[in-house]
Amino acid sequence: MKGMIFTLSFKPRFALDLSPLIPERMQSMTQAEIKRIQLDYGKGKLAVEKAFKIKSAKNNNIEFRRSTDKLIRIGRNMSKGTIIIKGDVGDYVGQSMKGGTIIVNGNAGSLMGCAMSEGYIQVNGNVGDYLGGALAGEIEGMSDGFICIYGNAGNCIGDRMRRGMIVIEGSAGNYCGSRMHAGTIIVLDRAGEHVGFSMRRGTIVLAKRPRHIAATFRSCGNLKMQFLRLLFKQIANMGKQYDIFKKIDPEVHRYAGDLAYKGKGEILILQPILESIKPGTKSA
Amino acid sequence: MIVKLSGGTVYDPTNGVNGKRRDIYIKDGRIINKPDIQAKIGKTYDLRGKVIMSGAIDIHTHIGGGKVNLARMMLPEDHRDDTVKRTSITRAGCGHAVPSTLTAGYRYAEMGYTSCFEPAMLPANARQTHMEMADTPIVDKGAYALLGNDDFFLQMLAAKKDQAAINDYVAWIIQSSQALGIKVVNPGGINAFKFNQRKLDLDDKNPFYNVSPREILISLSRAVHELGIPHPLHVHGCNLGVPGNKHSTLDTIEGVEGLPMHLTHIQFHSYGNEGDRKFSSGAAEIAESVNKHKNISIDVGQILFGQTVTASGDTMHQYEGHWHAHPKKWLLMDIECDAGCGVVPFRYEDKNFVNALQWAIGLELFLQVDDPWRIFLTTDHPNGAPFTTYPHLIRLLMDRGFRNDMLSTINKAAASSSILASLDREYSLYEIAIMTRAAPARSLGLKDRGHLGSGAAADITVYTEHRNKERMFAKPDYVFKDGELVAEKGKVVHVTSGGTHTLRPDYNTGIEKSLVKYFERYVNIKLGNFKLADDEITDLGKGKLIIQPCVR
Repeated sequence: MKGMIFTLSFKPRFALDLSPLIPERMQSMTQAEIKRIQLDYGKGKLAVEKAFKIKSAKNNNIEFRRSTDKLIRIGRNMSKGTIIIKGDVGDYVGQSMKGGTIIVNGNAGSLMGCAMSEGYIQVNGNVGDYLGGALAGEIEGMSDGFICIYGNAGNCIGDRMRRGMIVIEGSAGNYCGSRMHAGTIIVLDRAGEHVGFSMRRGTIVLAKRPRHIAATFRSCGNLKMQFLRLLFKQIANMGKQYDIFKKIDPEVHRYAGDLAYKGKGEILILQPILESIKPGTKSA
Repeated sequence: MIVKLSGGTVYDPTNGVNGKRRDIYIKDGRIINKPDIQAKIGKTYDLRGKVIMSGAIDIHTHIGGGKVNLARMMLPEDHRDDTVKRTSITRAGCGHAVPSTLTAGYRYAEMGYTSCFEPAMLPANARQTHMEMADTPIVDKGAYALLGNDDFFLQMLAAKKDQAAINDYVAWIIQSSQALGIKVVNPGGINAFKFNQRKLDLDDKNPFYNVSPREILISLSRAVHELGIPHPLHVHGCNLGVPGNKHSTLDTIEGVEGLPMHLTHIQFHSYGNEGDRKFSSGAAEIAESVNKHKNISIDVGQILFGQTVTASGDTMHQYEGHWHAHPKKWLLMDIECDAGCGVVPFRYEDKNFVNALQWAIGLELFLQVDDPWRIFLTTDHPNGAPFTTYPHLIRLLMDRGFRNDMLSTINKAAASSSILASLDREYSLYEIAIMTRAAPARSLGLKDRGHLGSGAAADITVYTEHRNKERMFAKPDYVFKDGELVAEKGKVVHVTSGGTHTLRPDYNTGIEKSLVKYFERYVNIKLGNFKLADDEITDLGKGKLIIQPCVR
C-alpha cells in the first residue's frame, strides 16, 4: 500500500499533536505546503519538516513510522482514507473520527476513538483507558464505528458509549462498559471489577465469568440468544482475523443491569467452551 | 496628571449634549471642568471626527452566580470551540455563550462597556456570585438579590405581616448579600413548581402559602420604593415564553398600582396566541401600555440567531423549555429553597417560525416604545444571545435597510405575520447613548456614571463613526475606565479591577431576631455565615465597594 510516509526523525520530549495530518486535508496540498504545517509541540510549535522525513505518493493513505507514545491525536476528525501507525502511539488516536481506517502496529494510549462517529480502528497491541469514551465533560462517547484490539485494554473501556462495537481479544481492566448508553462490547479474556458500572442500555459480552459482578445486576439464567449467532457470523465475515468468532456458541448466562439505571443493559457470559481458546490469539 | 480628549463629538444625554464638539478633561479618574490655562496637560488624545460617549452599562447580564457556573460546567463544547489565548497582560480563557469570568470582563471592555449588572443573585449563593464578579476584570459590577419565592418571605406574606416588617427583611437581604437591587423571578411560581404546579397566573394562589403573584409584586415593589432603593423592583414576570402571556404582562403593568417597576427581558413576555400556529406578536399592545405607564421601564432581552444557553432562576418555565434543549441536556437545581435555577442550552434558528417571530417581536418592541429613557438594550445574556452580539443588535436598530435585509432571510411565515417591515424608525446615536448609558445609570441610581459631566467617573468610550454601525460599536478606538486607558482598537491594553456597587438601606435590625430562629430551624448555615461581609469583597485587593445612596 503506497501513500505518504512520515518517518519520525527525532525523539520528542513533549506531546506532538498530529491532528492536522489527516488524509482529506493533505489531498489538496502540495508537499511543500505539507512540510510547512505547524504542529503543536508542548507549549510551542514545530513544522512538519522538522519532525518527519516525508516520502510522498498521492493517495488517501498515510503511514507513520518509528512512532512513539508522544504522538497524540492522530486521525482526529478524519473522514476517509487509511492511517497506518508503526510503533507505539499516544492518546486520542482517532478522536471524533468520522470515517476511514486506522491501524496501529504497536501499543496505543488512552482515549482512543473517543467521540468517534464512524470508521474502523484496529490495534495489534495493548491500549490504555477510556477506549471509545467521551471527550471531557461530554455526555456521549463513541457513537458508531468498530474498534478491535488484539491485546489488552485498560480501565473504563466504552465509557458513555452510545453505539458501535468494541472487540477486545485480550483482557479488559476495571469498569468495562461504565456509564454505557448503548452499543456492544465483546471481551474474549477476563474483565476486571465493576463490569457495566451504571450502564443504561447496551450489551457487554464476556468470554469468561469475571470475579466480581455488582449487586445491581440480576441473573436471568442461561439463554440461547439467536442475535449473538448473527452477530458473530457477521463479525467472522469481516475478515480472516475474526475467525475465532466462528467457534463461539450463542448460549450465554445473562445478567440484566445496571438496575440502579433502569436495568435495560445486559452482561452476557459465554459458555465455558471458549475457555479453551487462548486469549489474544492473533490470527491476522 | 490631566488627560485631555480633544475635539471629539460628544453624545451625553444626561447633560443634554447631542453631538457637539467638546473637549473632555480627566483628572484622578474623574471628569473635570476645563482647567486653568496654567494647568499642565499630561497627555492629549486628538479625537477630531471621533464619537465620544460614556462607558456603556449593561443592566441585565448573567455574568456570575451558580447558574452561570453550572452552564459552564455543562457545556464543554462551548469552551472547546472558543478558546482565547493568553497575552502578556490578559489571561487565557474560553467560552462563547458562557465565557469564563476573565474573558467576559475583557470582552465587555473591548466593546466599550464599563459596568455590568448580574440580575439574579440568590441570597444563599451571594458569596459565590461576588467571588465570580470579583474575578471579572475591568468592569464595575453589581447584583440584584432574588426574592419572592423564598420561604421566609412567603410565610411573612401569608401571615399578613405589616409592610414595615417586609421592608426590614428586604433591606436585610440587600445588606447581607451586598446587592444593588431586588429582583423577583416568576413571583411565587418557582415556589409553586416545588408543589407540583406547572403554571401560576397573576391571580392564581400558591397552593401552600395561599399567596398570589400580584400580592408578591405589590408588596415587594412597595418595599423597594419605601426603602428608597434607586432601581425599581426588577421583575421577570409570570408565564415566561408561554404563548398568550401578553395578557399577564399587561395585567402586571396595570396591577402594580403606579409604583415604579422594571420589567426585564419583556420580549419573552410579549406573546399572543392568535394565528394558525397559536403564536403571535403582542409587542404592539405591550409597547402601547409601556408608553402609557410612566412608572414602567423595560429591557428587551432580544434574541439573535445561533447557539446559546438559557440560564434562568425560573425553574417552572425552564422545565417547560427543556424539551427544546439543544444539545440535549439540561438541569434544574435548588439551593436552600431560596428560589430556583434552570439551565437549558438552546439554538435559535432563523428558519424556525417561533424563533424568527421572537426575533421580530424583540425588534418591534424596540421600535414601538417611544421613550428611550425607559427601554434598555439587552439580550438577557446569555439567554437571548451572548453579549458579544450587541453591536449587531445596534446595527439592526439604527439601520432600516439592514434590518429589512435580515427580515427577508428569516422564516417567511414569521416575517409576514410581523409588522416589522412597516416600522420606519431608526435609532439615532443620541438615542443609543440614552438606552445604553444614561438611562441605565439613572435607573440604577448611579449618579456619577453614564454621563460626561464634571465630577462623573471617567468611564469613556471613543468610537470612529462608520456607516456600518456593527463595525463602529464592535471595536471602539479607546476605552477609559476610571480615567485609565484599558482598551485600544478593540484590544485590552491595561487590566484593572472594577468596583462593586451596593447599597446600605436603613432598617430596623430587630428583624434578625426572627431570622436567627428561622435559620436555626430551617437553613443549613448559621445566620452569621450567611451574611457577606465587606472584607470578603475587598480583601483580595481585586475589588472595592462603591456604596450608592438610597433616595429618600
